[in-house]
Amino acid sequence: MNDAASNPETSSPAAAAAASGQTRDLSGARDMIVCEDVSKWYGDFQALDKVSATIKEQEVVVVLGPSGSGKSTWIRCINRLEVHQEGRIVVDDVELTNDMRNIEKVRSEVGMVFQQFNLFPHLTIRDNVTLAPIWVRKKPRAEAEEQAMALLERVGIPEQADKYPGQLSGGQQQRVAIARALAMEPRIMLFDEPTSALDPEMIKEVLDVMKTLAHSGMTMMVVTHEMGFAKEVADRLIFMEDGQIVEQNTPDLFFSNPTEERTKLFLSQIL
Amino acid sequence: MSELSSTTGNLEVPYTPPPVTPKLPPREWIRANLFSSPFNSTLTVVSGLVILGILRGLLSFLFNPIRQWDATATNLRLLMTQAYPEEQYIRVWVSTAVILILSGLSLAVWRAGSAVPLSKVGRNLVATGATMALLTLLAPFSASATVQWLIASAVVAAGGEGIRRFSAIRSGSVGSAGSVGSGGSSGDDGRTVTTLTLLGVALTGLVVSLWVVPYGHHSFILDRTPRVMAEPGTVAMTTKLPWTVMLVILVAAYFLGRSLRDRLPTNATRATLLVSWLLAPPVLLYLVLRDPSFDMGHVLGTDLPIFGAYAVGGAVLLSWLTRPTTGEVGRIVAALVLIVGFCLFLQPMRMIVRIDMLMLACFALAAPTFAGGQRARRRYVVGWLGVLGVSSWLITAINTPSTVDVPGDFFMGGLSLTLLVAIFTLVVSFPLGILLALARTSTMPIFRLLATWFIEFVRGVPLITILIFFSIMVPLFLPRGMHLSELAAVVVGYSLFSAAYLAENVRGGLQSITRGQHEAAEAVGMTTGQKTVFIVLPQALRAAIPPLVGQCIGVFKETSLLAIIGLFDVLYIARAVMPNQTEFMGSTRENVLFVSLIYWIFAYQMSKASQRIEKRTGLGER
Repeated sequence: MNDAASNPETSSPAAAAAASGQTRDLSGARDMIVCEDVSKWYGDFQALDKVSATIKEQEVVVVLGPSGSGKSTWIRCINRLEVHQEGRIVVDDVELTNDMRNIEKVRSEVGMVFQQFNLFPHLTIRDNVTLAPIWVRKKPRAEAEEQAMALLERVGIPEQADKYPGQLSGGQQQRVAIARALAMEPRIMLFDEPTSALDPEMIKEVLDVMKTLAHSGMTMMVVTHEMGFAKEVADRLIFMEDGQIVEQNTPDLFFSNPTEERTKLFLSQIL
Repeated sequence: MSELSSTTGNLEVPYTPPPVTPKLPPREWIRANLFSSPFNSTLTVVSGLVILGILRGLLSFLFNPIRQWDATATNLRLLMTQAYPEEQYIRVWVSTAVILILSGLSLAVWRAGSAVPLSKVGRNLVATGATMALLTLLAPFSASATVQWLIASAVVAAGGEGIRRFSAIRSGSVGSAGSVGSGGSSGDDGRTVTTLTLLGVALTGLVVSLWVVPYGHHSFILDRTPRVMAEPGTVAMTTKLPWTVMLVILVAAYFLGRSLRDRLPTNATRATLLVSWLLAPPVLLYLVLRDPSFDMGHVLGTDLPIFGAYAVGGAVLLSWLTRPTTGEVGRIVAALVLIVGFCLFLQPMRMIVRIDMLMLACFALAAPTFAGGQRARRRYVVGWLGVLGVSSWLITAINTPSTVDVPGDFFMGGLSLTLLVAIFTLVVSFPLGILLALARTSTMPIFRLLATWFIEFVRGVPLITILIFFSIMVPLFLPRGMHLSELAAVVVGYSLFSAAYLAENVRGGLQSITRGQHEAAEAVGMTTGQKTVFIVLPQALRAAIPPLVGQCIGVFKETSLLAIIGLFDVLYIARAVMPNQTEFMGSTRENVLFVSLIYWIFAYQMSKASQRIEKRTGLGER
């Protein structure tokens, strides 16, 4: 469970390649997330329509699409915050079913960062980061606090450890949220529009942290509207509309040579 | 969001103080706020006249010569403890001392009190003096009395003015109020004074008044017939000396706490104090005040072995259950313990065996949530041993006959009874209410249904009905050999009643927790139990503080319904006992007014405490 690839501090050949900005060859890597014909309805409205995709270990996938296209629903299905009704989702060889044990296992392997940060407002930053390692991972407190400080150092805000979330700026809160997710030593990180609730000047500080994370070899799935980030960091872009995957490709090809009409329209509107 | 920051670090922004809004001089303020328009002026004049009229009426009631204020002054002891025997009074004083020691230590350890500018104290005293003078002129006093009161007002105002002048002088070292009272420390500045010092001065004033003002004294002697021992012109020696000692104890405990708080680890000290506060009421009531005469043979032969068996067996079971590797099997075993606990009720058996088994089941069910490292596990087992030990000790004490010889069903009455019932009810109904609220909002249909039915049923029944039912009917339904004292039955009924209301308040708090908080807790892999304990409940309870405190005040005041089932609470004594004393025939109005003052003091303190807690826990809010 704790092989080198899951440890963000260790760099691997693939990570080195990513750091140099080249397109990586991940064909030999193992499958981390496998979705097969995943469908979901809210009442009569179909939010996901037979979504199938495979995400490899260390791959960084950015999901794009207009509002209501089902990107958030899909990413939230992957750690079972939403329940898919048809199809299969397998995360790190564990299939998501109604079995609580599988769900808890997947959740402790998958970190999630939310649009609204969702920090625990009644706990200090330090406690926000250490709570889950202590009670879910059963780590000794001293070790968990040491790790928390190291993570806060990494996201650039060690001096805020004893403050409460309400005393921090949005960008700082989102970085704490990333540190909180990383404290569980996840093998996969999900980002659900992590910068959409931030002021423009705070977006950069969060994206910088995410870039460092991507370069360290973390498997990441990011829903975002930040095209710059997508171009620079992603191994693959997935474009969704009306609950379906319309097109997926490497960033270069996606932006320079989109195949679908709908993708061209989308790109012409945002670029 | 207001903080300006960047990834490179915080920018140094030169500090610009906000512009000062000048304070209006009094005359301007009055014109701007009270006489700004013809309508406003009329309103001010009319309501001023109404207030003056009400004050005049109240004063002529209070100071009418036919008022029997002796009745309350003389009957203070009756109001506080009813018929508790004179020769055992040392027990009451010991209990009071324990509470005061805990209070003093807590005030110090929680760093209570805030600094007040001395000049403000002075201004307030001047204002008090002026108000007293105004009231004196309104009151229907004789000429000489008016002069006396006016002199007193002048003294107060002059004292206030003196303090104000003194604080204006820039002498950095002295706090004049601090030198008057022994109860606290003055601020380092010399121009501020802590609220604790003021409290100390006020309490000292009250205690000094015991030595100076001629209160009467009411006592039970020999054949237990209440007889007023009015001692006009003298002071009851039995009260003034103990109260002086109590004041000294409180102050000493405060300073002890101050000197200890920096040497001991804060969190451990606070936890110890909280546990002491929780333990104090049952221990004081059942061990100190009630003074049970233990049957050593029974204790050694039955109670101790039962305790030992549960202590050892429970410790082994729980230390296994809290091991992180135990997992699912642990939950099944815990459920089995619960089933065994219920099965014990089918067989004739000692009640303590059943209660202990149910407690063990609760601990076993909660164990997986608290599973963790060596230290966490040891702490959990120690918690079990503590709860088991205290409850065994108390159950033994409760079942042992009392040596205190008192007339009537229960050995306490008056304000003590009111406070005891209120405290016990709140301590029992809080956890119960939280559990009910959680059950009502849970996803499990059976829990939800049972909780909803219970809450809706209890809320649809008047409190009096429940009290009567529990005092009269419950003893009839109990299995043979089981005895529940009337007071215990009433507290159980009252707790169930109050729990239903608390549950609805807590539910309001639970609903204020956003979906994002639940999702964030789930996303890091917390179980439902962990999410509830660490994330949802702390926030929900904080959001529910105002209605919860409102409910606490309600519980405290509605203890006066105890009179319906024949218990002597403080209001019943004031309205039915004292007016029948030959010395104080028909003194109902005075007594009820006095008792309502007592109620108000407690209720107001609770409400102030709620404001302080809200302020203190508001730190994490946006």
